[in-house]
Amino acid sequence: MSNKGNTRKRPPPTPHPAATPSPQMKHQAAMEEEELDEDIFLEETLLQYEEEDSQRRAFAERLAKWKRPALSTSYLSQSENIVFQQLEIDYVVGDSHKGLLPSSSAALLEWVLMISPVHQILEGRMREANRNNAVPKFVRRIELVQRRSIMHYQQQNSQPFLKIVVALPTMVTTCRGILDRGIQIDGLGMKSFMTYESNVLFALRFMIDCNIVGGNWIEVPHGKYKKTAENRSYCQLQFDCLHAPEGEFSKMAPFRILSFDIECAGRKGLFPEPSHDPVIQIANLVTLQGEDQPFVRNVMTLKSCSPIVGVDVMSFDTENEVLLAWKDFIREVDPDIIIGYNICKFDLPYLIQLPKESYLQLLGYTVTKKSFYLVHSYLGFVSHTFLLRPAMQRDHKLSSYSLNSVSAHFLNEQKEDVHHSIISDLQNGNSETRRRLAVYCLKDAYLPQRLLDKLMFVYNYVEMARVTGVPISFLLSRGQSIKVLSQLLRKAKQKNLVIPNVKQAGSEQGTYEGATGLNTKVAARALVLEARAGFYEKPIATLDFASLYPSIMMAYNLCYCTLVTPEDARKLNLPPECVNKTPSGEIFVKSNLQKEAKDPLVKAVLDGRQLALKISANSVYGFTGATIGQLPCLEISSSVTSYGRQMIEHTKKLVEDKFTVVGGYEHNAEVIYGDTDSVMVQFGVSSVEAAMNLGREAADFISGTFIKFEKVYYPYLLISKKRYAGLYWTNPTKFDKMDTKGIETVRRDNCLLVKNLGLTKTGDDYEVKAAHVELAERMRKRDAATAPNVGDRVPYVIIKAAKGAKPLLRIFEPILKNASKELLQGSHTRSISISTPSNSGIMKFAKKQLTCIGCKALISNSDHTLCSHCKGREAELYCKSVANVADLEELFGKLWTQCQECQGSLHQDVLCTRFSVVLSLLIASLRIGSLVLISAYLLSRDCPIFYRRKKAQKDMAEARFHVWLEMFIDEIEPKHSIGDRRQAVTDVFSEFFNISLKVFCR
Amino acid sequence: MAVAPREVDSGNVLQRKQSMYISLDESFEIRKEMYRGQQYSQIYFARLHLMRTLLYSLLPTWKPHLPSCTVLGLEEGKECIIVGTLYKHMKLKPSILDEYSKERSSSPLVKPHNFMHSDDYLVLEDESGRVKLRGSVLLPSVYVTGIVVALHGKETGAGDFMVEDILEAGLPPQIKLPLNSGEDKYVVFVSGLSVGSSSANPLHFQLFVDHITGHLGDEKEQGIAAQIVQVVIAGNSVEFPRGLLNGQNLGSKDQSRLSEPIKELDILLTQVAAGIPFDIMPGTNDPANFSLPQQPLHRCLFPGSAAYNTFRSCTNPHSFELDNVRFLGTSGQNIDDLAKYSDGKSKLEFLERTLRWRHIAPTAPNTLGCYPFTDRDPFFIENCPHVYFVGNQEKYETSLIEGSDGQVVRLICIPKFAETGIAVVLNLRNLECHALSFGTHFSS
Repeated sequence: MSNKGNTRKRPPPTPHPAATPSPQMKHQAAMEEEELDEDIFLEETLLQYEEEDSQRRAFAERLAKWKRPALSTSYLSQSENIVFQQLEIDYVVGDSHKGLLPSSSAALLEWVLMISPVHQILEGRMREANRNNAVPKFVRRIELVQRRSIMHYQQQNSQPFLKIVVALPTMVTTCRGILDRGIQIDGLGMKSFMTYESNVLFALRFMIDCNIVGGNWIEVPHGKYKKTAENRSYCQLQFDCLHAPEGEFSKMAPFRILSFDIECAGRKGLFPEPSHDPVIQIANLVTLQGEDQPFVRNVMTLKSCSPIVGVDVMSFDTENEVLLAWKDFIREVDPDIIIGYNICKFDLPYLIQLPKESYLQLLGYTVTKKSFYLVHSYLGFVSHTFLLRPAMQRDHKLSSYSLNSVSAHFLNEQKEDVHHSIISDLQNGNSETRRRLAVYCLKDAYLPQRLLDKLMFVYNYVEMARVTGVPISFLLSRGQSIKVLSQLLRKAKQKNLVIPNVKQAGSEQGTYEGATGLNTKVAARALVLEARAGFYEKPIATLDFASLYPSIMMAYNLCYCTLVTPEDARKLNLPPECVNKTPSGEIFVKSNLQKEAKDPLVKAVLDGRQLALKISANSVYGFTGATIGQLPCLEISSSVTSYGRQMIEHTKKLVEDKFTVVGGYEHNAEVIYGDTDSVMVQFGVSSVEAAMNLGREAADFISGTFIKFEKVYYPYLLISKKRYAGLYWTNPTKFDKMDTKGIETVRRDNCLLVKNLGLTKTGDDYEVKAAHVELAERMRKRDAATAPNVGDRVPYVIIKAAKGAKPLLRIFEPILKNASKELLQGSHTRSISISTPSNSGIMKFAKKQLTCIGCKALISNSDHTLCSHCKGREAELYCKSVANVADLEELFGKLWTQCQECQGSLHQDVLCTRFSVVLSLLIASLRIGSLVLISAYLLSRDCPIFYRRKKAQKDMAEARFHVWLEMFIDEIEPKHSIGDRRQAVTDVFSEFFNISLKVFCR
Repeated sequence: MAVAPREVDSGNVLQRKQSMYISLDESFEIRKEMYRGQQYSQIYFARLHLMRTLLYSLLPTWKPHLPSCTVLGLEEGKECIIVGTLYKHMKLKPSILDEYSKERSSSPLVKPHNFMHSDDYLVLEDESGRVKLRGSVLLPSVYVTGIVVALHGKETGAGDFMVEDILEAGLPPQIKLPLNSGEDKYVVFVSGLSVGSSSANPLHFQLFVDHITGHLGDEKEQGIAAQIVQVVIAGNSVEFPRGLLNGQNLGSKDQSRLSEPIKELDILLTQVAAGIPFDIMPGTNDPANFSLPQQPLHRCLFPGSAAYNTFRSCTNPHSFELDNVRFLGTSGQNIDDLAKYSDGKSKLEFLERTLRWRHIAPTAPNTLGCYPFTDRDPFFIENCPHVYFVGNQEKYETSLIEGSDGQVVRLICIPKFAETGIAVVLNLRNLECHALSFGTHFSS
């Protein structure tokens, strides 16, 4: 079986430039044929478009300074080793270079338990399946190898396996299908075969075979690579190579990271659409990994734009030119990593959907829909697109993932919120307003860069890639199981093990269940002790199990290869002292029997890089338990959970037996709750410190290794399983935080107000049927442009719950007996309404009168604001009212200066508002009161102070009014007539709201 | 004009001296202005405009050979002068956002006195843009947000501005004062009476009142008392529990707790008003508005003393002229804020700096509450005062500074009376100054 196609990775040409690693297998494939694969895009329409007018040349000069440093000649003459850091891997099936005979062979292999005459049949079937493919020979080679399956304990060391090498990656699937279905072999009849490791992704396969992990350094010795004849790309180097040893580099290459953001003109009420709304600005920042400041800062604008300090502003007359300039820029700068916030959901699709599809064809970008990275065939580099938003969503639990709230959370920096409609206005203004927009755009581009640095995404992900051995893109776009699989495969390769291809989890699962005769699903997550719900006013000590699952796996030697099937157990007749029977009934051999058979993953976990390992260690458990995963083994996971449960119960027993009054302690200890990884104990002591001491004692007593004493909750509210809250103490003097799990306050579907109120007043809930969906729908009706998109978080408050939903009760029930009686019944729930007819009958005789500010009594003399009775309280009433003004003034000042801060300018008005909307809302809020408060909060979605700022402004206007009113008490200028007063009063209001105040002035 | 009450003592009548009083508070009065959606950008703009005109007029004498340009017009490597508002980027500056973003329990209860940090840096801003400032000439610890200066330097490759020299506006012009002429007349400054607070000793205040009204001491002392022509009360005259002011309706007991300190103050002020003209300025704790300029305390608070025409309720900041000697002063907020956001050897240094920057409260509105003026900046110091005072300081300090054009300014830090028992006396004739200390000592 031959194979061909040269794997061509076009990795980042870092200053230590790039190469194209191709797999190097011990068996080298001969390559005779040429093949093109349809995965890859090699259109020939490339750079026809090189009409250089003078303008572009001038522009090119501008760009030139950002070019990468030229390569040394030694690279060009291929006399030097090439060292580079691998970021991304991809392959192209193309011509192999005859000049370098042993060079390219795709790593494609497959071991099949079968015998050799099968070759012919296989070849025939393959040909049928791939009729339209012009490959003369599909199955290159079949060879016999000695391997062992990872599943189940076996006494013999290895069995013969067949390794089939096929010509193209895509053929693996076909081949597997054929074998699964079974083939007719003379003398043996129809027989189907179990395939091993046939579902491994090609890129991963290659990396594993060559022992390359994600993000590692690769050295290509000179002479082994060759410059490609036809220059298909703008990549600085492109060649084939064959040698890929692992380098001992742990540093990070100085990647060029491009952060960009585009702005497009929008129309009122509509979300920008590529077919109508042009791209008006593109801001770019390029930073070398590891440096603080970007070395390129520029913004490309449609129409003129005033200069910005430290930023290269390039203005163009048409959208076309902007985009072309951007293309040139990217080509010149040649970034290794492209980042942006939400660029995959907005910016990139927007560029792709532009009506003149020419742009992106021109640019040559193709965004593969599923894997979020750009493959740029003409420009010839693979830039890894780092999507901050998905990464954020994966790694951090926030209540909102908008760029603003994310940056507020991590960087303590707010960004201005400029509404789509304002963007158009700014664009249509003069060069100054466009400059304003450009500044905003730049900030949008800069924040992702800051976030990337602050959260060390590059480091973390590269480390993770190194540990798990998968390319970085897998980390972003794929789940945990691929990482575990990669590690498993690597370890298995070292140990000569092969992993069976468990095709359909459902069916396989059935057989396992049948075989073991146990319902394995029971064990899945049943690791919780019954909770004794209630409110505990004494400190609760928490004993934690440190990395419970990996520890259990290690301790009891639970692994794929130590599992003994019941039949085998009977057959092999293992002595009972050599096996462990787990509480769930599975049998595993002990480690003395199977030397070196500890779970290889867990072993790897023990020595290595902290963060990455911790995450993957915990996922091992999930991997073995996932029924639709790559290699489920419920025996392992159920054993682990059952051991875990056993341990928790054991702990409970030990604690409750030891810490008793009989045993010399003050109180009887009581385990009130046990969760997956912790046990909550009430020792009965009332001080935090005493509880801590006892907790430590208990941890030492039980076992030093597994159990750690970590924290004390005091007070502690336990509602039910997995739902509890309490103040979290790690030192006896001061609590660290309020820790809440599973109850309303921690759920992110609550507004900040509710969260801050904490335990006592959690007033809204999510349970009401799809309230958020309803809300989103209404918002969409109101204004399509601000309506939430899929994945956005929408804050809301339920004012009126549906019948039967009583979220309050759920919270108070543990604390108050008869909660529903006390809370929801009684006089405080009664609302008394007195109807006041406004224009009928008796109201014709009613007239409005002034009341005293102090006591609400009617005043007949309209020149005063206080009744004769309250006259002596002037000073006191004035103090109160003026204190109110003072508070508001302070708030006003703080809020507006904060907004200036966010905006980053003292001399320009704060733009960050939806002025018209908010003004109308405030007018309305006077009429209907607090309802609008909620809407205003919704509109200002992310800026916590936005509403308060507006409110402060409004309150000021009102408060001033009061003070002035009081000033009239004294008749500083007694000549004021009633008419003047009314004027003065209405002035105050009409300036902000146009509402006449008939109530105050007759 | 002050009324001169007679002091009758054993037939020897001492006549209280009089002086010409002109109030210059007009620019600090808000009157009919209102909050109607103005933003703070306008006051910065007004300030920049005023100061730039001034600084540009000084440029020919400072560095005539250098061109001046805007932040936008900067070219790399080209030496020039830029004029703009400084903005200090401060790492530790408290933000109102923290109220929301941080969990309640984690916010520190004790506020630090000073928000300086070694990572702070300055930025210069004009209407066109911002540029980060570098160089050792310009110390971030000295300057604060809101000052307008001219800078000489050039743009570096990184888009920063390397500062080589700084020009501040300097002391404003002053009307010459013929010193050491005429007779001794005294002005008494007092601040932080804090009537109603636990630290205030009513006896001290009564002693003070009796002393200045001439009810104490022998004939010689009474003679000096008769030479007092003006009393200035620089803020924080009363103190009441803040918590009382938030609630809606107060019980009758709380009502009296609220009005009691003011009544007490009014009684004592009535005694003063009967003898000497006095100015009362509002301060942070007084029942006045919060943001600068604070408006005069309302007359309805002082039913007794307000009846006298010697009672003058003034703004904070406060400016007036007495026999052609020009006074300018605040109740201390501006200087306290500078102390929070910059470094100085003493409070006097801050006073001097504000004079040189020609701005009473540069940190307003950034960290100091301030009314959003639209067309003017009332804190700009147009004319140099002869006496510049600040109330509610920790201790009594004074110095006399001289400007390059022969300006002479007496700087006074008035201590908190309730804590120190010290009032400050200034001689109008020669601007000399001394402390007046009141104490009680009981030996049993």
